[in-house]
Amino acid sequence: MSLFSSSISLRKGVAITDDEFVQLRDFIYEKSGIFVDEKRKYLFESRFRKRLQELSLSSFGDYLKFLKFDSNRKEELVKLFELITTNETSFYRDIKQLDAFQANVLKEVIENIRKQGKSEMHIWSAGCSSGEEPYTLAILLYETLGMEAARWKIRITANDLSMAMIQKARDGLYNEYAMKTTPEQIQKKYFTMETGGWRIKPEVAKMVDFKLLNLNDALALKRVPRSHIVFCRNVIIYFDQDMKKKVINSYYDNLLDGGYLMLGHSESLHKITKAFKPVFYPGTIAYKKE
Amino acid sequence: MTKLRTDEIKTGMILSCDLRSRDGRLLLPCGMELEEKHIQLLDRMGVEEVDVVGPSVELDNGALQDIEDYVRDYFLYSNPDHPAVMELFRIALERTASRVAAGWTLPTVEERRAQTVDHLEDLFLKDMGGPEEIAKNETELESFPDIYFRIREVLDSPNVSADRLATVVSTDVGLSAKLLKLVNSPFYGFPSSIDSISRAIALVGGKELSTLALGISTINYFKDIPPELINMEMFWRHSISCGIFSKLIAEQQEGIQSERLFIAGLLHDVGRLIMFKKLPYASREAMLFARENSIPLYEAEISVIGYSHTAVSEVLLKAWKFPENLSEAIDHHHDPMVRPNPLEPAIVHLADNMANAVGVADGGMYAIPGIEDGAWELLGLSSEFLREILGKHDEQIEQILSAFF
Ligand SMILES: C[S@@+](CC[C@H](N)C(=O)[O-])C[C@H]1O[C@@H](n2cnc3c(N)ncnc32)[C@H](O)[C@@H]1O
Repeated sequence: MSLFSSSISLRKGVAITDDEFVQLRDFIYEKSGIFVDEKRKYLFESRFRKRLQELSLSSFGDYLKFLKFDSNRKEELVKLFELITTNETSFYRDIKQLDAFQANVLKEVIENIRKQGKSEMHIWSAGCSSGEEPYTLAILLYETLGMEAARWKIRITANDLSMAMIQKARDGLYNEYAMKTTPEQIQKKYFTMETGGWRIKPEVAKMVDFKLLNLNDALALKRVPRSHIVFCRNVIIYFDQDMKKKVINSYYDNLLDGGYLMLGHSESLHKITKAFKPVFYPGTIAYKKE
Repeated sequence: MTKLRTDEIKTGMILSCDLRSRDGRLLLPCGMELEEKHIQLLDRMGVEEVDVVGPSVELDNGALQDIEDYVRDYFLYSNPDHPAVMELFRIALERTASRVAAGWTLPTVEERRAQTVDHLEDLFLKDMGGPEEIAKNETELESFPDIYFRIREVLDSPNVSADRLATVVSTDVGLSAKLLKLVNSPFYGFPSSIDSISRAIALVGGKELSTLALGISTINYFKDIPPELINMEMFWRHSISCGIFSKLIAEQQEGIQSERLFIAGLLHDVGRLIMFKKLPYASREAMLFARENSIPLYEAEISVIGYSHTAVSEVLLKAWKFPENLSEAIDHHHDPMVRPNPLEPAIVHLADNMANAVGVADGGMYAIPGIEDGAWELLGLSSEFLREILGKHDEQIEQILSAFF
């Protein structure tokens, strides 16, 4: 005997027609550069189900109209971005890459700044999700500069498309999952334990500026301060070739001479651009602007 | 009655059959109520799974809702209006509910995420090695257990005799033991017990036996996968499940040798094992990507790594000179309908979906891959049929698992 009614169905909401799917996906692409494969049609259908119900809309056609013409369309776009982005991340993600980065790239960049008699650095974490990546970078800088850190002026600009993620990042409170690959002494040194989890210490938090930003917004990208280092990990995987080229070119323009771009473990600049010089390390490639 | 892993056993549960050690000694009798000390004993003896009943939990509406949400999550990627997908959804629901009623706790979101393997390093960085490169030193023939090739040699020779075949097979004691266990399992359903390889060959046929030998040799080949990356027991359980379903589906089709489909199902994910070996970190990133995007691992591999496990098996099985029709069913179990002869790949395709659906109630990790347009129609089955073979599958799986491992 089954505990579930024999008529229980898999479908829970209204179906999206092929035409509506194409329209929705084109809309998403136009706004965010995120490319949704046709195979994910059913996935999208269910992802938007709750939202359609909340808005009391009975078809995806109506939802598209709402997105395009309603007086609340700006606010709805914020919601849409939260629905379509996935935000998997953690502190010290890809330790092998970060080790190579700290021992080589970061060291070289710091040396060069010193040689110029300066002590200022700017890092850009593009697609920072809930903040684990830029905070990790701030910690790496503390660890590398040691006593000197206090004298340096370090800014980390961290951006994401999802407002919910930006808020979570600013809040700075994390669970065990976020910490899973963080070395213990780092966790003790840079976090304080609270009832809700681990909170990043204010001296680390203050190095990072979190801001909502759409990588598809060319003008907004131009306003980001010039960087010594750009981290954009596990973000371009969601873009199509055109959009990949656009954002990578804007990182190139943003980087100072001698600066570096770091990508995610499963990303490369293969077929995107030859402008950077790839520098190979065990477990990672750093892309240098010469 | 439910099978639970030893770490899922709680005090108060009751053994639903005699529990014996590997050498047949009675450890705990059927009907025993398990106390803490018994659980510790199981742990010490390295017992992995136990059949238990209750203390059965009443499932209230809240619990049923949780189960529904949990199961639904695996099906988000597939067509919700497809009759077979719908049936698989119901099957997964019922199986999950009965396990929960018997004391199983649904895995949390965190538990369902891939393990961290930060200490493992990939041999290739992205775009620096395709399927050929990563399959490379695996494809050097001498690395593959050569018993299979010796069996093939006998079969291909003009004066093939059952005796000669039996002699060759018998030189590999481990292989012979496994083959005998398998032909004596309900999988074959022979009325009396078979105690020699020559008798097995007479009953099963030389070709079939060599296909089985190939399957067993391949499994033996993959013993050194990092256990922290994937649960190998879950991996093979899924594989055997898929093998059994493939065979049962194949029996409905005309003119297909169903044992071959068993082996095709059994080995359908071998490419993945090579990926685990060569690209542990990227494989784990693909798992994360699959989970966070609710997509099947196959799709995630293509996005993250750039090619899928079937692209790898294609290279591997070709180099190992696997029989072509066997490789075809393995290499195309994700895209059967693009093939000139889609029937056999389509069988493994459906079987893989079924094995995944059954795996939901075992805490499986990934979305159901979904059924390609046309594949279900090609097979001409009914959704009732899926339920029928489910029972047969359940009768066979444990014994086949124990025959292989
Ligand atoms: C998988 S997370 C990666 C987080 C982090 N960089 C890491 O590697 O752990 C991808 C992030 O990219 C963001 N993203 C996707 N498209 C974006 C866009 N057009 N503009 C800004 N951020 C975007 C998503 O919101 C998401 O938080």
